[in-house]
Amino acid sequence: MSMQKGSTAQTEKSIRFGNGPGRMSGPIVKPKDRKGTIKRIWRYMKKQKAAMSFAIVLVLISTVLGLLGPLLIGVIIDHYIMPKDISGTIGMAGLLAIVYLAVSLFTWLQTFIMVNVSLKTIQMLRQDLFDHFQALSLKFFDKRTYGELMSRVTNDIENLNSALSQSVIQIFSSVLTVAGVMIAMLMLNWMLALVTLLVIPLMFFATNKIITYSSSNFIKRQRDLGDMNGTVEESISGIEVITLFGKEKEVYNKFSDANERLRNSAMMADISSGFLGPVNNFINNLGLGIVIAAGALMAISGMTTIGVLASFVTYSRQFYRPINQMSNLINTFQSAIAGAERVFEIMDEIPDLKDSEQAIESSSFKGEVSFTDVSFGYGGQKRILKNISFEVKAGQTIALVGPTGSGKTTIINLLSRFYDVDSGEIYIDGRNIKEYKIQSLRSKIGIVLQDTYLFSGTIMENIRFGRLEATDEEVIHAAKLASAHGFIKHLPAHYETRIESGGTNLSQGQKQLIAIARAILADSDILILDEATSSIDTRTEIEIQKGINTLTKGKTSFIIAHRLKTIENADMILVIREGEIVEKGSHEELLAVQGFYYDMYKLQFEN
Amino acid sequence: MLSFSVRTAMIKALPLFLLSEIDRQGKCMQALKALLSYMKPYWLFAILGPFFMFVEVAMDLIQPTLMQHIIDDGIASNNTGYTVKMGLFMVGAAIIGLAGGLGCSVYSTRAAVHFATDMRKDVFQRIELFSSRNIDAFGTGKLITIVTNDISSLQRAVMMTLKIFVRGPLLFVGSIIIVFFTARELFPILAAVVPVLILVIILFTKKSGALFKKVQEAIDKVNTRLQENLAGMRVVKAFGRQAFEKQKFANANNELTKVNISAEQLIALLMPILLFLVNMGIIAALWMGVIKVDNGSIQVGVILAFINYLNIILNGLMSSSNVLMQITRAFPSAERVQEVLAMELDIEEPSDPYDPRKIAGDVEFRHVSYSYSKNGEYVLKDISFQVKNGQTLGIIGSTGSGKSTLAKLIPRLYDVDKGNVLIDGKNIKTYKLQTLRETIGVVSQKGILFSGSIEENLHYGKENAALEDLKQAAENACAREFIEKLDEGYNHLLTQGATNLSGGQKQRLSLARAFIRKPSILILDDSTSAVDAVSESAIQKALKQEYAESTKIIVSSKISSIKEADQIIVLEDGEVAGKGTHQELLATNKIYQETFVTQGGVLGEYAKR
Ligand SMILES: Nc1ncnc2c1ncn2[C@@H]1O[C@H](COP(=O)(O)OP(=O)(O)OP(=O)(O)O)[C@@H](O)[C@H]1O
Ligand SMILES: Nc1ncnc2c1ncn2[C@@H]1O[C@H](COP(=O)(O)OP(=O)(O)OP(=O)(O)O)[C@@H](O)[C@H]1O
Ligand SMILES: [Mg+2]
Ligand SMILES: [Mg+2]
Repeated sequence: MSMQKGSTAQTEKSIRFGNGPGRMSGPIVKPKDRKGTIKRIWRYMKKQKAAMSFAIVLVLISTVLGLLGPLLIGVIIDHYIMPKDISGTIGMAGLLAIVYLAVSLFTWLQTFIMVNVSLKTIQMLRQDLFDHFQALSLKFFDKRTYGELMSRVTNDIENLNSALSQSVIQIFSSVLTVAGVMIAMLMLNWMLALVTLLVIPLMFFATNKIITYSSSNFIKRQRDLGDMNGTVEESISGIEVITLFGKEKEVYNKFSDANERLRNSAMMADISSGFLGPVNNFINNLGLGIVIAAGALMAISGMTTIGVLASFVTYSRQFYRPINQMSNLINTFQSAIAGAERVFEIMDEIPDLKDSEQAIESSSFKGEVSFTDVSFGYGGQKRILKNISFEVKAGQTIALVGPTGSGKTTIINLLSRFYDVDSGEIYIDGRNIKEYKIQSLRSKIGIVLQDTYLFSGTIMENIRFGRLEATDEEVIHAAKLASAHGFIKHLPAHYETRIESGGTNLSQGQKQLIAIARAILADSDILILDEATSSIDTRTEIEIQKGINTLTKGKTSFIIAHRLKTIENADMILVIREGEIVEKGSHEELLAVQGFYYDMYKLQFEN
Repeated sequence: MLSFSVRTAMIKALPLFLLSEIDRQGKCMQALKALLSYMKPYWLFAILGPFFMFVEVAMDLIQPTLMQHIIDDGIASNNTGYTVKMGLFMVGAAIIGLAGGLGCSVYSTRAAVHFATDMRKDVFQRIELFSSRNIDAFGTGKLITIVTNDISSLQRAVMMTLKIFVRGPLLFVGSIIIVFFTARELFPILAAVVPVLILVIILFTKKSGALFKKVQEAIDKVNTRLQENLAGMRVVKAFGRQAFEKQKFANANNELTKVNISAEQLIALLMPILLFLVNMGIIAALWMGVIKVDNGSIQVGVILAFINYLNIILNGLMSSSNVLMQITRAFPSAERVQEVLAMELDIEEPSDPYDPRKIAGDVEFRHVSYSYSKNGEYVLKDISFQVKNGQTLGIIGSTGSGKSTLAKLIPRLYDVDKGNVLIDGKNIKTYKLQTLRETIGVVSQKGILFSGSIEENLHYGKENAALEDLKQAAENACAREFIEKLDEGYNHLLTQGATNLSGGQKQRLSLARAFIRKPSILILDDSTSAVDAVSESAIQKALKQEYAESTKIIVSSKISSIKEADQIIVLEDGEVAGKGTHQELLATNKIYQETFVTQGGVLGEYAKR
């Protein structure tokens, strides 16, 4: 058992959770800032104030009408049925029917409105969270699994939904009913009315206790759910490797751990929150008992009549019900708040890469690039790049070569501002890249990443990702330049063939071809190819080279490749080793130096 | 007589309604039924839950009677002893009720959570058995949603059923019976209203079933958008397509909200209609009542009692129809879960598996053809070759020619459509799957690593490998140097997809992961494409020296990686376009010659040697 203290531990002891492994994971989690979270949810709902106000008016009307029904029935029975006035009864029944119709209508309208309000609120929240993801930098995503993040957008937000759609209606109708009944009771007999109120503090106390306990469980449940989702997402995405290595059992065990943790926390959360109803019910019954006991005493001493006592019994039931509902509602809200907190936690992440205020939009780049004394590390002590300096004239082709892990991709990451330099400066066209709007900077740079990713959708859509307004002809032209046309035209539906998420139904090289076509279509001022042809056979590569050459004429381009043949013709080759530029020059110059490049080259082409 | 037939009609109505449901959503129901087997181990909980709820309801129903006794018999007649006795009874009933309520919460929750958790376990385990083809059929995104969301919604449905659903029908049927016995004069009203109520509920259930299916699909879309956005985050950022992605997500989000609203509004419509119908019953009771009171066939009290019971019926209906909606909501989920569980595994353990102690590693393909689409378009056509234990086979060929597909057939990720793959002369389909895969070390083209430490990832290759072995394998894969340079060394934590390693580092780790198994058959699918020349030649040396006994199948687009192979296959459009050693192919095969030239080789010079 971990170190739990105070009230929570007591509550836990009083509940038998049976024989299971009974292990609690981690310390008790407390909601961080319940009030703040509610306020933020409110800020979202507020946007639909008008609709909500209308719904509240409807709640008022339908509650009052709802109270009118029983009253009318009493009148009908006492004044029409008893005297056997048939036509009068039918007339009054007609009136009652109208009241009932109105009640139904207003009840429907108010839920109709609130369903809209809450679902729209949820939609906004979901969108905002997604939008915020787009603003966050890669540093943020480096730390998290997709499944865990997805869990926040789906499960956590969904929890809020169920709470929101009921909350407003219930809060108002409950308050109204409680107030109405209270007035009636006070008018009947104020002393008994006060007695009815006696158990209210007890209810508050019990509700509070249960909710504090269950809310910590809800938070734990949501966290475990996120973990479980993370594990599932990663395992299913990597299922092929799991199969190949026969690691089904180990992965299953890992999943099972998360699943069992979820089993425990889900059980705790649901059981403890489920206690609220019966406990309140019990307190209500106790309250009734006290009312009757007091009433009996008063009746004996003549302070009240049995008739009044009988109505009090009915009233106190009517009085306790909405209070119970409220306490249930708070309970639902706990689970919602646990979710909302996890949502807001992400929203509070401040994007560490942001446009500065004076950032400018650039219409196009000439393509002069220079690094001066750039140093960088991905966090931690280690510096990945050390004092990188080089200069590129507009229109040049630059090759980056060097051993794996030497920092070539990192240089590209910095140039396109996926990360910011620790020290030193990067200039494009004589301006520090931090002075450009990130969006405009990146849209002027076309990149084929080392790790290609394709989205589900047609081939056409995937290539068009490079330039959204491109026509079909332009897409096909780009595909031809990238030598992708050849295989696409053999696919069953040609350019309309559907690609699965991640491009799993294409070969690795085909994916790269499409990624190249995508970058070619983007027609940007600076082109970066990071191992863009690593999985492509060399005969096709030569073809692509031709396409790219015509395309990059007059444009600055960066090419990273291990197959040195690919980069022989570059204007300048930078040899990167352990984060430093060790050699710099054209192919011939570097060969003449007989240094590191020469060794690499010889190794690849010896014989 | 008439009322009797009405009553039997009434009693039949409920099961009838269920029957029609079975008819309509036969598939859903079957799915649900199949899934209910997960409740078996917890049947006691599943019974105890509603049972305790029953206790609570019973105690709630007793309370008014006890109270009435206290007032009528105790206080009115000043009988203190009786009052105290009844008072104690009341407290007792309240305590029993509390126990009932708590018990219900405990057992219903237990049943539901255990049910869902066990099911999730099985579904996950099942998915692990899926062949790549099975996975392709679903798509990973959908599988993920099934394991996470669908099962959760089933759990919610079960919990609701046990906690609340039973209560409604109980109150409903109870009230009808009581009315039949105590207010038979007004029973025709019930006989008229109740079928209409049930009809309405059936109608709504039907409609909402269809709607919720749409909701589920919309959720799928939102999830897919999200998952792809996260996985393709770098591409999105690189092209500055955030706005585009936001729009795409907004579309999915809109769609979801739209179908959600229509589904929820349908439910929102049900309540007022039920309310109205029951209230019409009250009106009818007043109308009929006044006539019957007038001709003296009933007392006013009967009307009052009837109205009370109508209210109870209403409450019962409202709560249970609400839950019914939640349950219909879970139908599509049940179907999807069942789909996974019932999916026929297309690669399964043979009935009498061959499980040799040692596999030498001779690999042979005999007239193998394979098609992904199964519509006659073959990706591999009539492939035959043979590699002897310890030999190296190189495979080279243009993009999309089927190299990876060929490699995937050996560990049975996919099964051949025609022909046979043999290992040590025996069809691989006869081998015990585990043994087969254990003898093969595959480095797939896409180096997939998992979040966790480097050591954990390497242990994937061989669970109980000593650190020394890990180091040796890393050394052979040329990974040791970079690993040991990391601050945390082998404990360095990788992110999901190992985005915190360079491309070449990832490849070298996946190489090391396969090396550590010391497999009889080593398959490297283009696994040095992102590795620099220096490292690659070191890896090749290691392959030759350390894995001399392993059969090596090396797929590469670099001639340098395969030229020393004992045999090289040139694959073109799924067919073997050439076979032989480097020299032989240089002399005879045009494709190979071309490839050689494009990689800086000089043919003339070669011919001289
Ligand atoms: N997101 C990241 N977080 C932490 N470390 C990283 C991250 N990306 C890369 N690194 C580390 O930075 C170093 C340089 O990586 P980089 O990707 O720049 O290498 P590279 O030269 O492109 O290699 P390759 O040729 O293999 O692609 C490596 O040691 C790598 O482990
Ligand atoms: N899961 C899949 N579903 C459908 N088609 C597929 C699937 N995987 C591959 N293909 C198709 O099968 C063909 C052969 O693919 P394969 O991956 O075997 O090529 P490859 O020779 O390995 O190419 P590369 O050198 O680019 O890796 C390609 O046309 C590809 O589009
Ligand atoms: Mg790289
Ligand atoms: Mg391949």
